[in-house]
Amino acid sequence: MELVLDTVRKTFGGVVAVDDVSAVMPQDRVTALIGPNGAGKTTLFNAITGFDPPDRGSISFGDQRIDGLPPWRVAELGLIRTFQTPVGFTTLTVRESLLAAATPHFAETPLGALGLSRKARDHERASGDRAEEISAELGMADLLDVRTDELSAGDRKLLEFARSLMAEPKMLLLDEPAAAVAPANIGRLSQLVRRLCDERGLGSLIIDHNLSFLMQIADEVHVLDRGALLASGPPAEIAANPDVMRVYLGEDGAKDSEA
Amino acid sequence: MTNPIFWVGVLTLAAIYASLAMALNVESGWGGMWDLGIAGLLAAGSYCYVILTADPDLGMRFAPGLSMWVAWPLSALFTGLVAFAIGAPALRLRREYFLITTLAFAEIIRQLVVIQADLTRGTLGVPNINRPFDSFVTGRDYNYVLLGIAVAAAAVMYLVTRQIGISPFGRTLRAARDNEAVALALGKRVNRMRIKTFVLAGVLIGATAPVYLFYIRAVSPQLFAPGITFTVWTALVIGGLGSIRGGLAGAFVLIVFTEAVGLIEVDPSHINILVAIEPFMVGLLLVLVLRFRPDGLFSERSAFGAGNRPAGRSAGDSRPAGAAQGSGG
Ligand SMILES: Nc1ncnc2c1ncn2[C@@H]1O[C@H](COP(=O)(O)OP(=O)(O)OP(=O)(O)O)[C@@H](O)[C@H]1O
Ligand SMILES: [Mg+2]
Repeated sequence: MELVLDTVRKTFGGVVAVDDVSAVMPQDRVTALIGPNGAGKTTLFNAITGFDPPDRGSISFGDQRIDGLPPWRVAELGLIRTFQTPVGFTTLTVRESLLAAATPHFAETPLGALGLSRKARDHERASGDRAEEISAELGMADLLDVRTDELSAGDRKLLEFARSLMAEPKMLLLDEPAAAVAPANIGRLSQLVRRLCDERGLGSLIIDHNLSFLMQIADEVHVLDRGALLASGPPAEIAANPDVMRVYLGEDGAKDSEA
Repeated sequence: MTNPIFWVGVLTLAAIYASLAMALNVESGWGGMWDLGIAGLLAAGSYCYVILTADPDLGMRFAPGLSMWVAWPLSALFTGLVAFAIGAPALRLRREYFLITTLAFAEIIRQLVVIQADLTRGTLGVPNINRPFDSFVTGRDYNYVLLGIAVAAAAVMYLVTRQIGISPFGRTLRAARDNEAVALALGKRVNRMRIKTFVLAGVLIGATAPVYLFYIRAVSPQLFAPGITFTVWTALVIGGLGSIRGGLAGAFVLIVFTEAVGLIEVDPSHINILVAIEPFMVGLLLVLVLRFRPDGLFSERSAFGAGNRPAGRSAGDSRPAGAAQGSGG
């Protein structure tokens, strides 16, 4: 299965934020999406996930057209995104946020709340175990009972990632998952992303400015520049591409991880 | 001091407001839907109950004369339907527009009651509401029965809303309130869930309506002026929006306080000043509570997960550094 973009275009007034982008991203691979600030990376995520549908072009996941679907429907199909600015469920604790991400629809009705079926209780317990596992793997087990708005920016970023794992994803779309994250945790993050892909076939599409982080884990890299796809290929090839070097150094130099 | 029957009445009224405030908390505290149409929903439930149970001799166009035990649940369901009719269009609007729209719908309902006089007796009102057990217990003793009914209703409301609050459903409601985009990105059907919640609040308010009528004994449209909505809101804010016990505690504090102010003995020639001072005193109570307990008597924070736990690490991330990797591009 793959995520396929076909001449996707998105404009804001006169600004062409995404300029006829076509690309194929396998669902079971790690794909990186890089490009300087304002290149249109987040806009592309918004187009894919239904938050801001494209003006034209088509997007499909597997054999399903997804452009024009509402965000919750895209998520139901297994495309789970994170946000560049990690605000999250401000008043919920880390544990509550993770559990909320995993709650199935059948438990999310007033009658479901009153009856609390056995199925719902079993699901809740299993989710609780998974939340502890995932947070331990990301080194945030001691934060489970801390409210989201009391976390550091880096921990909120990790929570974005952990939360998306709880939602039964088929493919992750991570918008700058390593930004503001402490170096030690970036290591855990890359290991986990890689391992989920290799062991469970859970691929991701990752935007980040931290190129050393991305180049280590990506199978394939797409470079976006002023809305258009500039280059695509394996990390080594991209790193050696003079056009890519020019875009990164020509603008305002390479971006560091705190961008 | 005044006689105990007076205080029985005050506690009865407080229990009724407590029920309404707890129902409001589900949609507004947890659901984030700031509803100013409580009066309208209460009117819908009340008139449904009145019409279904009214004495056919009163000459109302439709008076099936149902038993109150049948009419009571029907009123709750009918109010849920009305809530659906209001919520389906209104929930497309952003918060501040939603607020105004619900207020407008409540006024529309009140005007409908006035206009549909052959169905509702309009401004004449309907006297002698049917009350449970009043053939067994009569006179002043009935006040105790009424208190029992109101307290039992509040207790049921507490148990129901508490269960909703601590359930996965309540958690998702709070999540979507905090961040709708994230909820959508996780596949939550936010709108559908909000409509269901709004309808649920309607059912709960509709179920409380008959108890309110037992207390008032006669119904007329001016009972459902917006004032009642604001009293319920004040009770909930004092008690703690988003908490579990807030509506309960806030209503008792507010109603007992208000009635106690009414008891201040003044020279009869100054009675109008006392009446004028009442809303001022309520405002003062609200300001004082919010000054010293900004989240209300019970806060949402104390009700859920993050109660008394230590705060998280501060920004800067003082985690012991392991193998540092990937520092920049
Ligand atoms: N809602 C919007 N309205 C108008 N212009 C927008 C909107 N969203 C994005 N843009 C513009 O579209 C272009 C692409 O923005 P986008 O946020 O997608 O960039 P990005 O590649 O994610 O950048 P960064 O690395 O800084 O996050 C920018 O010029 C931006 O100003
Ligand atoms: Mg971006």
